[in-house]
Amino acid sequence: MSSHREAPEISKDPVADGTDTYAFMHPTQPDTVVLIANFIPLQKPDGGPNFYEFADDVLYEIHVSNTAKSEPDVTYQFRFTTEVRGPSFLYNTGPITSISDKTWNRPQYYTLTRVKNGRSKVLAERVPVPPVNVGVRSTPDYEVLAGQAVRNLGGGRKVFAGQRADAFYVDLGSIFDLGALRPFNEAHLINMPNMGGVNAVQSYNVHSIALQVRTADLTKDGKPASVVVRDRRNVIGVWATASRRSGRVFDSRKGRYDGKGPFVQVSRLGNPLFNEVIVPMGRKDRWNASPINKDADYARFVQQPELAKLLPVLYPGVFPNLAAYTKPRADLDAILLTGIPDGVVPGFQNYTGPVKSDMLRLNMAVPPNPDPNPLGVVGGDLAGFPNGRRIIDDVVTIELRAVAGVTIPLVDDTFTPDGAAAAVQDGTSNTNAELLDDFPFLGLPGGGYQTTPGETSATGVA
Amino acid sequence: MSETSRRKFIAAAGVSAAAGSALIAGSGRAEAVPDPRRAQEPVLALVDDHRGSVVRLLVGEREIVVEDRDLVTRILNAAGGN
Repeated sequence: MSSHREAPEISKDPVADGTDTYAFMHPTQPDTVVLIANFIPLQKPDGGPNFYEFADDVLYEIHVSNTAKSEPDVTYQFRFTTEVRGPSFLYNTGPITSISDKTWNRPQYYTLTRVKNGRSKVLAERVPVPPVNVGVRSTPDYEVLAGQAVRNLGGGRKVFAGQRADAFYVDLGSIFDLGALRPFNEAHLINMPNMGGVNAVQSYNVHSIALQVRTADLTKDGKPASVVVRDRRNVIGVWATASRRSGRVFDSRKGRYDGKGPFVQVSRLGNPLFNEVIVPMGRKDRWNASPINKDADYARFVQQPELAKLLPVLYPGVFPNLAAYTKPRADLDAILLTGIPDGVVPGFQNYTGPVKSDMLRLNMAVPPNPDPNPLGVVGGDLAGFPNGRRIIDDVVTIELRAVAGVTIPLVDDTFTPDGAAAAVQDGTSNTNAELLDDFPFLGLPGGGYQTTPGETSATGVA
Repeated sequence: MSETSRRKFIAAAGVSAAAGSALIAGSGRAEAVPDPRRAQEPVLALVDDHRGSVVRLLVGEREIVVEDRDLVTRILNAAGGN
């Protein structure tokens, strides 16, 4: 979660595995938008000696649709190149105090290209990626290294690529143990004592590509977003993908694969949890490889979500109204596949048209909220998910409650949500690294030396 | 492609050429002439359906789809060690 190891095929290819996508208005520069896509899930900070890095043979992209077609009208491409400086077996041969230090034996660089309406333009070349946070001796001032990797592109635009602390929080261990929510253990079919949630992602790192761009870079007409929320020109769709060459041949002389042919999509991510909990196991791989504007093929899994049927079974007697609701879930269809039309939520819309497609939908006319509510639109904060997605948004709780029925009355006033629907949660809170106040916002990655193993047990409760 | 298999490929092409002069005349494959626009880098050829006529050529960052049953046959012959 939100898309960490969410499909069988991509779970075997971590460097191409997208984990989270974010799109939100910059909190203090609201004429700019922040787009972030994370890859390479669940990195244990001390996972060396060959530490995590972007793949040279993967094309990482963030796409923006600004028409009703749900096509990539603006795409930012990141292509990485890794070098080996010297003969040492080590990742670094001394402290790395600057991003250009020769003591870093395996520097990585990238080229940023923008493709707009079919035309490519290189925006930055040979931009350095910071090293991973090895530890107190190797990377003694990581904040400095990470800061050196933020490249200004002019006009308030910025780019960053590198390791960050994962900001997602979820009780993976419990949710995927037969849909258990620890705070409601006693009500579960296989009941246990209630307890607090366990943030399974705490202390893990990811690799992020992040952009701060002007709203005018993303609109169809190239003009800045206006303040008119009802104006559909202000709504953009955002999703991220990773692609690999369609052919790979192992070159035994080099000891690695060589790619042949065009890049083909192997991972995609718009709304959190879509492939994870909506798409059936047997279709997850195909979903990852398919274009977003073919998501009508998956609409029935949104409109009749398996999880909504499971909740009343796993929690007997807790969700009687949800169990009795048999209509297609137009609320989830709007939230995940088309955007919320005007007139559903007072003062808000992020409708992108009838083409069903899984993407974050950001209405850039909604100003950033200086006092954000992690429950986003469900919590009355129109600047949060599903209006785009901020890093602080508690998307697990939002989506759990939506699936449990709290959003059905938006489209069907004959339905009364079960009392538990508004209370359901996995019990986790944001216990990850502290977020930054400015770009790239995600917290600094945990260091290898500073990491200690967690606890586990083969039997019983750890 | 190894030298041995290259010879087999050429031999297979020769067999195909001898099999029907009309086909040779139509395809012009009796003796391949290098085209100035030819690929000059590694190429990966894929025949997804051995009963079909499509060869996918992966070259650089492109995919060229060739519909040529005779080419499929020659590749299959070579792949069979013939």
